[in-house]
Amino acid sequence: ASASFKLVRQNKRKDWTTLIYSSSLSPREVVRDEPGTARNEDHKENDQVDDFFTLKATDADADTLDATKEMNPLALHLGKWEGEEALDSIRHLFITGVNDTS
Amino acid sequence: MTTTTDDQHSSLQWSPLLSSPFSSLYAKRLLRLVEKVTNGTVIEISLTGTAILVKPGIISGGPVTHDCPLSRSIGYFLEPIIMLAPFSKKPFSLTLRGITTDDKDLSVDLIRTVTLPHLEPFGISDGLELKIKKRGSPPLGGGEVLFLCPIVKKVKTLNFIEPGKIKRIRGIAHAVRVSPQFSNRMIEAARSVLNRYIPDIYLYSDVYKGEEGGKSPGYALSLVAETTTAALHCAEAVSRPGVAPEDISLEATRSLLSEIERGGCVDQKHQTLVLLMMALGSEDVGRCRMAEPTERTVQFLRDVRDTFGTSFKIVPADKLGESPHLLYSCYGTGYINTNRTLA
Repeated sequence: ASASFKLVRQNKRKDWTTLIYSSSLSPREVVRDEPGTARNEDHKENDQVDDFFTLKATDADADTLDATKEMNPLALHLGKWEGEEALDSIRHLFITGVNDTS
Repeated sequence: MTTTTDDQHSSLQWSPLLSSPFSSLYAKRLLRLVEKVTNGTVIEISLTGTAILVKPGIISGGPVTHDCPLSRSIGYFLEPIIMLAPFSKKPFSLTLRGITTDDKDLSVDLIRTVTLPHLEPFGISDGLELKIKKRGSPPLGGGEVLFLCPIVKKVKTLNFIEPGKIKRIRGIAHAVRVSPQFSNRMIEAARSVLNRYIPDIYLYSDVYKGEEGGKSPGYALSLVAETTTAALHCAEAVSRPGVAPEDISLEATRSLLSEIERGGCVDQKHQTLVLLMMALGSEDVGRCRMAEPTERTVQFLRDVRDTFGTSFKIVPADKLGESPHLLYSCYGTGYINTNRTLA
């Protein structure tokens, strides 16, 4: 299972330099793998409702950019650390752990 | 005076701000602080609050006192100041009053134990200090810190590509205007998870009493994991109404585990600071191994390119594609603090 996971990860590997410097994607779109779909649809809907006023869809972006810590603790998936298996999975990162290289 | 302004940002123009109008009080207070620690800086905000005019002056430093609004913690003000302070004319001796720990920005504990040590590889260490004189929890604050920073002529090139393994964990549990027993309860809960990994764990119970405790009750746990190569990973959780100290502690502990799992030589909260110092480094290639950039870092990298003309090369840290880490490298601008030769 872990091998197939690695394969997926490899395929999904992004070209960060290009994404950051030569694309017009917003930071959120660069970091998450959802190139702009949600945002663009939002804009279309807004256009149909009203031509003159458009809702600011980027307020959330501004907030995340303004705070150093991750805002929502629930979004951090901390629940996974309740299981022994997850706790053991990072043992190799400590000096006391087995010396495997993964 | 022969000192010139920081010519890299001397362009005098109205630049569009964040997409939202520039109306928040704390952002204005931050600009006010920047005006205080510099000489000759002109900052104007347009009537609509959507554009800003900045004419930079020199960073003057020296003794300054600033009251931070209660809408943001001291960390929000201190983080950008830490980026400016080493390039000042006089060493900084900055007193900030307000909230010392909140859930948005780095607490003063993390700035003291994690942020400041990040400057050491760049040659900024002697006399670098943050003293927590009084603590202040939201909503009323009442905390006070003193930030001391030496000045440097130029920044050393960073070459940090070996993350190492975690050898020790340190933590600070503080509780003000609540039962001092709360910090012990937090420490116990954190140990129940962390004791399985390494023996070298020291969690310190930091009790502030009376006036030193500030005006509002609150408690928090800050954790730092240090590796054999001195890479630091940190996490923190702050008290919320109706949540037990044990749960706050587990939140901090699990965030630390997430941060450890993400790995790299610099944690995500300090990517921007390290990348800025790399860009300002001497004219050589600086390298650093880190996890994926955050949204904030992506915007920051674009800003650095627009301001200094420096682009980073970001490639997978190992070619086999087994590690999720990335290698960030750039050619330093060779920035020299012209103020210092006069001092």
